[in-house]
Amino acid sequence: MAHQVTSKDIPTKGEHLEKSRIAKIQRLSGVIGGGGLLASIIYLLVGSGTYHGSYAFSWLFAVFFILTLALGGCFWTFLHNLSNSGWGTSVRRMMENLGFVFPFLFIFCIPFLFPEVQKYLWEWMTSYDAAVKAHPEMSSSEALFHSSNTHDHLLAAKTFYLNPGFWLARFFTYFIGLGFFIWLVRKFSIAQDSDENPGTKNLFAARKHSSWSMIVFGVTLTFLALDLVMALDFSWFSTMFGVYIFAGSALNSMAVLILTGIFLQRAGYLKKVVTQEHYHIMGKLCFAFTVFWAYVSFSQFFLIWYANITEETRYFLLRNTENWNLVSLSLVFMHFALPFLALLRSDVKKNQKFMVALCCYILFMHIVDVYHMIIPERGPSVGLVVDHLPQLWIGGSWIGDLLAFITAVSGFLFFYLRNLSSAALYPHRDPRILESANLHN
Amino acid sequence: MSTKVRRVYGYLAEFKNASQLYKAAEKVRDAGFKKWDCYSPYPIHGLDDAMGVKRSILPYFVFIGGVTGFLTAIALAYTTQVGLYPTIVQGKPANIFTTAAFFPVMFELTILFSGFTVLFGLLGLMGLPRWNHPIFASEQFARVTDDKFFIAIEARDAKFSAEATKSLLAEIGGEHIELVEDDSE
Repeated sequence: MAHQVTSKDIPTKGEHLEKSRIAKIQRLSGVIGGGGLLASIIYLLVGSGTYHGSYAFSWLFAVFFILTLALGGCFWTFLHNLSNSGWGTSVRRMMENLGFVFPFLFIFCIPFLFPEVQKYLWEWMTSYDAAVKAHPEMSSSEALFHSSNTHDHLLAAKTFYLNPGFWLARFFTYFIGLGFFIWLVRKFSIAQDSDENPGTKNLFAARKHSSWSMIVFGVTLTFLALDLVMALDFSWFSTMFGVYIFAGSALNSMAVLILTGIFLQRAGYLKKVVTQEHYHIMGKLCFAFTVFWAYVSFSQFFLIWYANITEETRYFLLRNTENWNLVSLSLVFMHFALPFLALLRSDVKKNQKFMVALCCYILFMHIVDVYHMIIPERGPSVGLVVDHLPQLWIGGSWIGDLLAFITAVSGFLFFYLRNLSSAALYPHRDPRILESANLHN
Repeated sequence: MSTKVRRVYGYLAEFKNASQLYKAAEKVRDAGFKKWDCYSPYPIHGLDDAMGVKRSILPYFVFIGGVTGFLTAIALAYTTQVGLYPTIVQGKPANIFTTAAFFPVMFELTILFSGFTVLFGLLGLMGLPRWNHPIFASEQFARVTDDKFFIAIEARDAKFSAEATKSLLAEIGGEHIELVEDDSE
């Protein structure tokens, strides 16, 4: 057996990420993220035409991708506290740091508040406003029933949820609510680091508050996914959709955590407290959520495919048309089958080089997954709004996707690095740190 | 006095606690024995390593079992639903591209075959079920389900010797060392 880690191996002040070592990359990501955000906001405010609409979708795709990573970080933090786990105490701070990116991401969501963006993304807002304006004497759902567009009748039954006022309230609640709870739970963990008499007070407080935080997380993730993505087509609905997003978030934030752990260790940190046993467990969680993602996404497809109800099939009909079908098929084989087979053996989960490659691959497939959720709606929506003619694909729009993606990921990286360097890299005074450092499974 | 010739099973030695058993196991492992085992009233963490037990080959069987189940499901669904008796459900095509309908069958049979391989593979590798075990001839061994810890080194082991093995067990802290004879004849 390897050397037993004792309290003598843990530095009393904890390990801190040296700010000078990441200053360059943090500044670079900050400049790209900040500059890109500013340019995007200006373009989304003043632009017009097909590419303007196209970029609104690019922005949603890019921002939703980084939102899922941060949401997954919240999930793992709350789960670790709530399940009273000891194995991951040495990697828990990374989970907290990843989750705490979430409230900062609000600034990337600001463009979704612009009517110039909303008119392309969420047609229900346009229909709602038009109906209410045309029939100011009626209630909103009655007004929609009187609309000449028969599709609006589907919206009439949903006005209790899909109305601009409630939408706005929800939008702010997500970030304030979950942002507060992840801040709170992380605060307990950090308070422990400088506690003169480190006891179990902070640990138990974190556990206690993780309970309702978990509920807030579940509600936030589900309805955020509904409001941002499912509402792209208000006539479509799927009860599996929130779980589907959750499965992808949990899987990919775990991939980010593995990558962070490996990179920090290569830079000389976490050497004493993180071993291959931790990577083994995190690899197992990746494996589990690869299967869970496949299970949930197939369940969603399968029920819709079998039932064959008009208002449900639209989502998959669009995504099985022409080249989108290739993307759909690639998700089956490359998002599920390949990682599933690759993660089966236990020794590969302990192989760091292999895990770096595989985690990057999993993240890439998650990009494809989010792309497949959002972008197929672009051609029909933007086509309708701008030229009154739905299209399948807007030529050249991928450039916007790439720019938005680089901007969002840089912004994400900036805040993630900020969180990583703002506190000790692992909770060195946690009562369970030695248990975690000597993990054996 | 019985004149029956009995086969020697091996030496059985008692240890006071889990920690002693653990340390003794490491020494028996280092002495190079292969056919021996530890007995304890409860599972001891890390004892596998102390005994030098290699990883089981069961996962490979399970993988083959799972693949067999998967292929069985494809063959079953394809031959019945496409070849022998195509049933048209909701106007869906009856060909191999109706894979979505076959997925639950593929999934279930993969799980079922894997599960069976785990169960029967495990029983096979452990040599279970069996009526009796030679070590039950020892009377003190009954307390292994209560509060005693034992190591038994089998006489079949190439390194076994009547004198040296006994003194090794005494050296590493074994008490009440007993030569167990198979009485199951």
